Amino acid sequence: MKTRYLFLIVLTGLLIFMPACKTQTSTKTHDAYKTLIITGQNNHEWKISSPILKQILDETGLFSTEIIKTPDKGGDMNLFNPDFSKYRLLVLDYNGDTWSDKTKKGFVDFVSNGGGLVIYHAANNSFPEWKEFNEMTGLGGWGNRSQKDGPYVYYKNNQLVTDTTAGNGGSHGKRREFLVVTRINDHPIMKGLPVRWLHGTDELYSQLRGPARNLQILTTAFADSAAGGGTMRDEPILMTITYGKGRIFHTVMGHADEGGGPAMQCAGFITTFQRGAEWAVTGNVTQTVPFDFPTAAGVVLRKDFKEKTIDEALAEFGTYDIGKSTLNLTCLQNYIRSLSGDKAGLLSIEKKMVSILDNKESTLEAKKLLLRELSWMGSSYSVPSIKKLTSEAELKDEAEFAIARLQSAN
Amino acid sequence: MAENSSRREFLKRSAALVAGAALFPEIVPASSLGRGGYTAPSDRIIMGAIGTGSQGTSNMNDFIRLKNAVRYVAVCDVDSKHLANAKDTVDKANGTRDCRTYEDYRELLDKEKLDAVSIALPDHWHGIIYTEAVNHKLNVYGEKPICRTIKDGQTIVSAVKKNKIIWQTGSWQRSEPNFHRGAELVANGRIGKIKSIEVGLPDGGKGIGTPPVKDVPPELNWDLWLGPALKVPYRGVSHWDWRWILDYSGGQMTDWAGHHIDIANWGAGLEHTGPSEISAIGVYPPEGLYNVPVEYDISCKYANGIEMRVANSSRLPHGMGTTWYGDLGWIHVDRGNVIYASDPKILSEVIGENEIHLYKSDNHWQNFVDSVRSGKQAIAPVEVAFRAISIALLGEISMTTGQTIKWDPEKEEIIGNPVASRLLSRPYRNPWAIPTV
Repeated sequence: MKTRYLFLIVLTGLLIFMPACKTQTSTKTHDAYKTLIITGQNNHEWKISSPILKQILDETGLFSTEIIKTPDKGGDMNLFNPDFSKYRLLVLDYNGDTWSDKTKKGFVDFVSNGGGLVIYHAANNSFPEWKEFNEMTGLGGWGNRSQKDGPYVYYKNNQLVTDTTAGNGGSHGKRREFLVVTRINDHPIMKGLPVRWLHGTDELYSQLRGPARNLQILTTAFADSAAGGGTMRDEPILMTITYGKGRIFHTVMGHADEGGGPAMQCAGFITTFQRGAEWAVTGNVTQTVPFDFPTAAGVVLRKDFKEKTIDEALAEFGTYDIGKSTLNLTCLQNYIRSLSGDKAGLLSIEKKMVSILDNKESTLEAKKLLLRELSWMGSSYSVPSIKKLTSEAELKDEAEFAIARLQSAN
Repeated sequence: MAENSSRREFLKRSAALVAGAALFPEIVPASSLGRGGYTAPSDRIIMGAIGTGSQGTSNMNDFIRLKNAVRYVAVCDVDSKHLANAKDTVDKANGTRDCRTYEDYRELLDKEKLDAVSIALPDHWHGIIYTEAVNHKLNVYGEKPICRTIKDGQTIVSAVKKNKIIWQTGSWQRSEPNFHRGAELVANGRIGKIKSIEVGLPDGGKGIGTPPVKDVPPELNWDLWLGPALKVPYRGVSHWDWRWILDYSGGQMTDWAGHHIDIANWGAGLEHTGPSEISAIGVYPPEGLYNVPVEYDISCKYANGIEMRVANSSRLPHGMGTTWYGDLGWIHVDRGNVIYASDPKILSEVIGENEIHLYKSDNHWQNFVDSVRSGKQAIAPVEVAFRAISIALLGEISMTTGQTIKWDPEKEEIIGNPVASRLLSRPYRNPWAIPTV
């Protein structure tokens, strides 16, 4: 009984809180792109992945996503006959039985006529015999794929290699974190992203092969042999393909575990998925780069798949202590940077920072971090609160540091 | 006793030279003069070392390897293990057991009678210790980057100018043949008029997360290691890896500015000026103790129209190194004796007698010794080093503020941005203060 009561309070709290975050994150300026995630059969945990993919897409405010399930394996595929033309984007989280000819035709027509398509992880394993589909994925794996299906494509010593050697298509070594490296910096999906970043533990798909026509490899990852099964090649991780008038975004990342797991929780997977999906619809990307996009320094996981907002970061800021995550600080620094010196914006964030500084509940370490930031971006508004702290032994150095700097160029 | 007496004579000679220098300001005083290729042990340059970690020890060994050039007599470090190792190195080289050790550099500077010091410290210490050493009229071999802030750099440069000592920055690439050759070809217009320059510096690496507070190792004086930096608890990071924390360094970007940006400036004739506009982006790790940008991309515009881009190497077509682009072609140089050009013929060009011949040195440490003896400026003087690091530091300000920075390279001031100007300096923790020059 007690537990249920607590649950209700938490739920109510969330409901009140959520609209505030929404208004801050929504970039919606038009009707959301109607999107259909196709799933229902997969050698992967589609029941986990598909709802997460929906959440990831809808979170941007750009997409309005539905999920459709095919009949179970061995079921009557004639029953699967969606009207693709209602949608702007299809997302394939499917690896299973062949569709009916009618459905296949509807799918091909959709893409040829300019519909967007996202190929996600094991979806590139599906339909080895379906020519048009393989032209849309560019590269695929498993399903008895071999030299008959097209070349291996990868980078070796920074050179793009199209390799017609005989052999099976599709492999991966032991799951591990891997470094994703950008190959096309100025592609709309890649613009502004770090050119090297660590992806959460995932399968590093290797030895993919396929028709590889109208294919661009946006990023690669080196499949070292240390983790077993390594090809010692830089294998394609993110790709784009054009088919007719349609644009296809192909990500090999995102192997689903319980709760999504590190591959799906990775802020790099999430962000590139969101950007790739938008590009598939419009050929452009309007989303800003999130402050928590991973770098070569380390993996960044989002347990709830959402980018933290500045208000959320500030709400937690006062609890910082050494050894804890500095994500809230990075969020604040990124926000300050995004203001590009705008005085009104700086003053507004300064006031919020000072209120954390004034709060007796805030930790000393949180106050120290704030004093360092205020030292350069603060104004006379901060000075009384900072001066007060010069009398606190543990904050004296930081407070004097801040005052000295604030007065250095005024 | 005999040595002491000859030593006094030796210092007297130095004093006479200092007096002479006042009359001929272009002649910098040297503490000793080599005669006929033979240097008596007593005429060796008497040196101390401040900071004896990996780079400090490497520099000491480079000096010791020179034949009959220097004699180290004192070493200083806040880590007693480093100190013991450094004393051992010196004693072995001298065949004695009398190398003196200091934890506090102030004591070394006050007690020792030295001709020169080699200094290799975390960047946040450079402002104070370089200036103090120069104020003590010591010749300095100092590691790049010469400063953590623009203000620190300005102080060091004015101290060197005032005290007229010999300064050599540890930008040893200047003494490597490929860099010299590349810069000289560029300086003589072999790729035409320079339009743009690309400088590729290392990508940032993996972090260590957010480690907890740890016990300070007994050999380390943590408070003195921090010195002017804000007091923070020890979390297992001091030697070497300080360069991944913004309090002490700007990361690979500032660490390598003194190499490839310096070379870029050398060839393009930008050694004594700076950009007028700087716009940069930095990619910071979302969390962790290591907080320097792991990727960076700085665009600089110069009054003469040249544009310079400084970025982590993965963002640039030529990767690591310096690439000058002229209207007739390009030249690229990098470590490992790498030099190539848009047309290989450029590289076999002969530089005529009446053309520009850039300062030539075959050994960076010998060049310092020779300069101390001759009074001739060394190959990597302080002002030039300051101009190289300024580009990275101004880039850092641009990426911190999210703003394009307008810079007056003559007055060395940010134009019209008092908030960004605060980042030109970093207040020191009490009781530390930047020394007066």
